[in-house]
Amino acid sequence: MIGRHGRSRFAWLLLLAALAAVFAVACGGDDDDDTGGDVTYGKAGFKTVEIESGQPIKIGYSGPLSGDLKGIGEPIQKAVELAAKDKTIKGHSIQVVSKDDLCSADGGASAATQLLQDGVVAVVGPVCSGAVVAAQPQYEQAGVTHVSPSSTAHKPTYPDRGQVFQTFLRTTYSDDIQGPAQAKFAYQTLGAKTAYIVYDTDAYGTGLRDAFQKAYEKEGGKILGSEGYEKKQTDFKAVVTNIKNANPDIVYFAGFYSEATPFIKQLRAEMKDVKFLGGDGVKNDEFIKGAGADAEGAYLSLPSPVYTGEAYKTFGDLYEKETGIKRDASPFVAEAYDAATVIIRAIEKVAQEKDGKLVIDLAKLNEEIRKTEIDGASGKIKFDARGENVGGATPVSLFQVKSGKFEEIRQ
Amino acid sequence: MHPALTLSVSFWSDQFVNGLTTGSIYALIALGYTMVYGVLKMINFAHGEVFMLGSFAGYGALVVMGGNDLSGPVIALAILGAIIVAMAASVSASVVIERLAYRPLRNAPRLAPLISAIGVSIFLQYLVLEQTSARAKFYPDIFPRGSLSAGPFEITYIQLFLIASSVAMMALLYAIIQRTRLGRAIRAVAENPTNASLMGVDVNRTIVVVFILGAAMAGVAGVLYGLFFQTIRGSMGFIPGIKAFTAAVLGGIGSIPGAMAGGYVLGLAETVGRELLNELPGVSLGNQWRDVIAFTLLVTILIFRPTGIFAQRSTTRA
Repeated sequence: MIGRHGRSRFAWLLLLAALAAVFAVACGGDDDDDTGGDVTYGKAGFKTVEIESGQPIKIGYSGPLSGDLKGIGEPIQKAVELAAKDKTIKGHSIQVVSKDDLCSADGGASAATQLLQDGVVAVVGPVCSGAVVAAQPQYEQAGVTHVSPSSTAHKPTYPDRGQVFQTFLRTTYSDDIQGPAQAKFAYQTLGAKTAYIVYDTDAYGTGLRDAFQKAYEKEGGKILGSEGYEKKQTDFKAVVTNIKNANPDIVYFAGFYSEATPFIKQLRAEMKDVKFLGGDGVKNDEFIKGAGADAEGAYLSLPSPVYTGEAYKTFGDLYEKETGIKRDASPFVAEAYDAATVIIRAIEKVAQEKDGKLVIDLAKLNEEIRKTEIDGASGKIKFDARGENVGGATPVSLFQVKSGKFEEIRQ
Repeated sequence: MHPALTLSVSFWSDQFVNGLTTGSIYALIALGYTMVYGVLKMINFAHGEVFMLGSFAGYGALVVMGGNDLSGPVIALAILGAIIVAMAASVSASVVIERLAYRPLRNAPRLAPLISAIGVSIFLQYLVLEQTSARAKFYPDIFPRGSLSAGPFEITYIQLFLIASSVAMMALLYAIIQRTRLGRAIRAVAENPTNASLMGVDVNRTIVVVFILGAAMAGVAGVLYGLFFQTIRGSMGFIPGIKAFTAAVLGGIGSIPGAMAGGYVLGLAETVGRELLNELPGVSLGNQWRDVIAFTLLVTILIFRPTGIFAQRSTTRA
C-alpha cells in the first residue's frame, strides 16, 4: 500500500513538472525582434465620428492618476488639459476625458476600452510603455489615433509581429537614443567599466535594459549581472547582496522612481560609493523627496535636451501659472502639451460641418496628424512612418542630484 | 542574465542573513495564523492587513515624534514607542474584527468565517489604499547604519535588531503559551473547546486572547518591516500575509514552533535557495523567481508531508 502511494505521489510530481515545462514554453517571449526595414501597417478600423451640435469634441488621456506613479501622470494630464482649455472648433468645445491606467498593461487596456466607449476621437497617451503595448491593438482596431508624450520603449514602434501600428505616434524619443547615450556617459564620462542592471520587467524597463546593455557592451563595458523586479517590490536586499558581490563600478536602473526609491535606500545602506544611473522614469522630484540623502550623487537622464527655447518658456510660464506645478518637477509635460496641440490642430483641419453636426473622419485625422510639422514647446515635431518623432535634434540630457536638486551635467 | 559570480563565503553569509531577516518577519506574522487556526480551525485571512495597520500606526507614531529629525538616544525610545503604538493598533483592529466578523459566525459552516475573513482583508486593504491614494509612505530613515562582522558574517545593525527582537517576541510568546494559566487555557481550547468550557475555561475570552497575542506579533512585525524596507503601502499586507500563511502550513498549521520554523525555512528558501539553484549549470533564476520557489517548496513538502514539518497531532498544538 505504501509503495503504491509513493508511486502515485511521484506520478503527480512528474505531472506537475510536465505542466510546468509546458507553461514555461507558453510564457517564453517571442524573440523575433524586428529592428528596421520596411514599414507595413496592419488594418486600422477607421470610422467616422459625428458630434451633435452643442456637444464637445472628446479627446482621451490615459496615464497613472493614482498610486505611486501619480507623480508622473498628473502633471502630464494637466498639460493636456491646458492645451485643450478654451479651445473651440466650429463651435464645439474640447473635453479631455481622463482615465487612470496605473501605468500597467492591464490598466492601459481597460483605459482604452473605456475611452473608446466614451467616443473619443483621439488620445494622448498612454504615458507608460507597458500600457502602450497593451493598448495599441485596441486603438488600432478602433482606428483611434493615440499620441504618447512619454512612452520611450523600443517596442511600441517595433511591435512583435512586424506590422507597425498606424494609429500610434509619440512626441518623445525612443530609448534607442537614450540607452546608448547613457551607456556612453557611464563608460566614457564616468569611467565605469563594469555595470550591474536592475530593471522593471515591463516593456519600458526591459526595453531600456536592452538598449543600454547593447550600447554599453559595444563601448567595451562589461555587464556583471542583471536582476528584474515587479512594480511595488520593496525588498531589494537579495539584489543588493548580489550587486555587492559583483562589485560593479555603476548600478544601472531601468524603471520608475517608485521602486528606485526603496532600492537606492537599501543599496546605500550597504554600498555608499557605487555610482547609480537611471533614466526618465526616475528623474522626478518624487525620487528626491522619497530617497532624501540617499538620492545624493545619483545620475539621471532624460530623452530630451534641457529646453531653453522661447516656445518652452511661454508654455512653462503658462503651465506654472495655471497648474501650480513646477514645469520640471516631472518630465514630459511639454511633450504632452505638444501631443494635445498636434491632435487639436489636426481636428481643426479635418472636422466638417454637415446637417448641423460635426463630422470627423478618423482616417483623415490620422493622416493629418502624421503630416504634422510644428514648432512645439518641446521643439520641432515631425513624424516618420513608424510614428517616431524625427523633428528636432535629440540630445539626451544628464543630471546629477546635488543638495536635493537635479543639476544638469554639461558635456 | 546571470553570469557566473565568484561566489564567496561572504556572499553566502550575506544571503543567509537576508534569509533570516525576511524569515523573521514571516515567522512573526505566521504565529497569528497558526494560533487562530489552533483554536478556531479557521484561516484568518485578514491577518496580513492587521500587520499592515500596525505598520501604518508605527509610521504615524514615528512621524508625530519627529520623523527624520530624530537623533541620538531618543531614537531608541521613539522606536520603542512606535512598536507599542503599532501593537496597540493591531490588537484593537484584531479584536474588533473578531467581534464583528468572526464571532457571529462561530457556529456557521466553516466556509462562512473564511469568506468573512477575505472580505475584511479586502475592505481594510482598500480603505487604506483609498486614504493614502494608493501611494507609498516612507518610514523615517532614523535607524543607525553600519554593521558588525564576525568571521565571514556581516550583519547590519537593523538586521541584527530585527532578528533579535523577533526571536525575543517569539520566546516571550512561547513562554506565555507554555508557562502561564492563560497559555494552558489556550492549549485546552485548542485541544477541545467543549471539554475546556466544561472545565471552566471561558472559551470566548480565550479566543480573544489568541487574537490579541497574534495581532501583537503582527504589529511588531509591521514596524520592523517598515524600519527595514522603509516603504509601506496599503497593499503591503497581502504578499507577506500569504507568505506567512505558507510558512504556517509549511511548519504544520496549528503548531507554534512549526510557524517559527516555517518562516525561517521560507525566508531562507527564497534567498539562499534561489542562489543555490543558480549554482546548477544552465540555471539562472532572477529575483522574480523567489515566489515561484517559495510556493514550489510548499507544494512539494505538502505532497510528501501533508501535515507540514512539525506534524504532531496534539501536544505542540496551541
